[in-house]
Amino acid sequence: MTSVGKVRIEGVVKRHGSFTALHGLDLEIEPGEFFALLGPSGSGKTTTLRILAGLEEVDGGRVLIDGVDVTHNQPGERDVAMVFQSYALYPHMTVSENIAFPLKMIGTPAAEIVAAVRDAATRVDIAHLLARRPGQLSGGQQQRCALARAIVRKPRLFLLDEPLSNLDAKLRLETRAELRKLQRSLGVTTVYVTHDQEEAMTVADRMAVFMEGRMVQIGRPKDIFREPANITVAGFIGTPPMNLLAAEMADGQVRLHGASLPVNSAPGVARPVVLGVRPADLRITASGIPARVEFIEDLGDNVIINFDVGGQRVKARSEQHPELSEGQTVHLTFDPRAAHLFDPDSGSRLAPALPAASSPEAAIATPGRTSR
Amino acid sequence: MSGTATSARGPRGGGLRALMLWLAAGLLLAVWAFPVLWGLLTSFKTERDVLAYPPKVLFEPTLDNYREVIFGASSILPNLWSSMIVSTSATVLTMLFAVPAAYALARLRYPAKRTSGFYVLATQMLPPVGLIIPYYLVLQKIGGLDTYSGMTAIYLTFSLPFAIWLMVSYFEDIPQEMEEAALLDRAGRLRTLWYVILPQVRGGIAVTTIFVFLNAWNEFLFAVVLGGNNVRPVTVAMFNFISVEQTQWARLAAGAMLAMAPVILIGLAAQRHIVKGLTVGAVKGGGRR
Repeated sequence: MTSVGKVRIEGVVKRHGSFTALHGLDLEIEPGEFFALLGPSGSGKTTTLRILAGLEEVDGGRVLIDGVDVTHNQPGERDVAMVFQSYALYPHMTVSENIAFPLKMIGTPAAEIVAAVRDAATRVDIAHLLARRPGQLSGGQQQRCALARAIVRKPRLFLLDEPLSNLDAKLRLETRAELRKLQRSLGVTTVYVTHDQEEAMTVADRMAVFMEGRMVQIGRPKDIFREPANITVAGFIGTPPMNLLAAEMADGQVRLHGASLPVNSAPGVARPVVLGVRPADLRITASGIPARVEFIEDLGDNVIINFDVGGQRVKARSEQHPELSEGQTVHLTFDPRAAHLFDPDSGSRLAPALPAASSPEAAIATPGRTSR
Repeated sequence: MSGTATSARGPRGGGLRALMLWLAAGLLLAVWAFPVLWGLLTSFKTERDVLAYPPKVLFEPTLDNYREVIFGASSILPNLWSSMIVSTSATVLTMLFAVPAAYALARLRYPAKRTSGFYVLATQMLPPVGLIIPYYLVLQKIGGLDTYSGMTAIYLTFSLPFAIWLMVSYFEDIPQEMEEAALLDRAGRLRTLWYVILPQVRGGIAVTTIFVFLNAWNEFLFAVVLGGNNVRPVTVAMFNFISVEQTQWARLAAGAMLAMAPVILIGLAAQRHIVKGLTVGAVKGGGRR
């Protein structure tokens, strides 16, 4: 693994007029990491990427790459390459000239350029298209051309701005996997902006979730999925995302729609909470929370069942349930360890669920991360 | 280009629609072409045939008029040369300043950008005739009357804003991201302009150059007032065929044909440049939008 490409963002503030796009961002990205910036549009993720590229000035804070303060460096002085959402290929140049452009600009000898262009094009499988112009390529090929232009000069940082968003669904899945493979083989630190949580989950080593100009959570995709820090993250991650229900909490039980279910939680005074349960963690049983089947989305190998629980929509993801029919009332339960509790006012996660029945070693083995 | 567009539209529109379109096009063409054709015929007539009533359709063509306006006492060759000098220098200078200025207006953020953009447009709103006397006085003060530099400077005052205004839209068509990509590729501002931006506005530069040149070539009002014996463009020289005693229609027509020739040649040569579309498809969705 390479040792260059360490990124450090310190207290970065960005304003567009009266709108604050970033409220003091602190972030560290390790060399060689595939790091995703995830969030809905307007959350500040693309702004962060553009600040890293040097395309946006900051209104406060510092940006360091490999320990060097590059906050006020020009984009060209940072040794970073970027793939734009629109690809931004040069339409009047051939694929080969497009890929060669960054090398030509730094005065690489012609013979070396030819070899490097061929190598980069081969890596992304467009070596047979070098003589074409961007207008003669398909969307997927244009995207590869943009990638080749980025990797050809071996930068210390790749910045990818929603690189897959213009591809059709099937191509997106394929390219996602290839992108991951390419990044592994090059070992270059990669910052990847996406609004698609599934994309971030599948490609990233670590990711940061952005909401309204703030980074609300950072960690491995797995850990964020397991332990979302607040209601917005919980409602954003997962397909479909977590069910979030208003409930009462007392004596280690949540009360919801006339039913009480045990959850793993520090005992405390009775209080209102927001109960979060992942669709896949819900079970249909004989007793539990009464729920009426509203409609069933059949995905083939499994189904998403939409329930009405006291006026609140609840989704469950499970195997086929041929016996269920719309309008029928059933009961739902979940493993106490699968319950996530949030404060309804602040939205933040309440005292995390305690580790499963007496396994203190597990808790110690992964400090700072509570195992289920 | 237009051929494919017509044939693609043809089947949908049906035969009647196509016929109507052809008729309309033919009518418009006739309206435009008739005076030119009449002028062409006139240029080969003797003065007597020109004035014959009813007009003679069949006549004995003569090259006397051309001989006169090229080699004779009232030769317009010096005037064609004069037009060429003024038009070319005005065009070259205009484009030299207009291209970077339009790029700046389209891209850079600087204070009073809106104001300066409006100013450029506002200069086009003034009726030129209102400016003749002030221009005359200014040129007189600085000794610029009847000089090539003076005339060129005056032409710049209206061709430059026009060219800037036209070029801005071409620059604005280029996505910002294209430039950002070039900046990240270490091209810097100037090399980005040279390698990435200018090649994409070639069509626009060609079109603007032609418009500016033709405007200068066809200009009459300023030329007749601000010129003189020294600088007398062909438009003014042709005017001299019309005098109080007599109008030499045939010579005027021959002169007009010669003055039109470069315009028509330029139009034919530049036709393909006017077709835009080089940038289509480079940025996703660009072709569809």
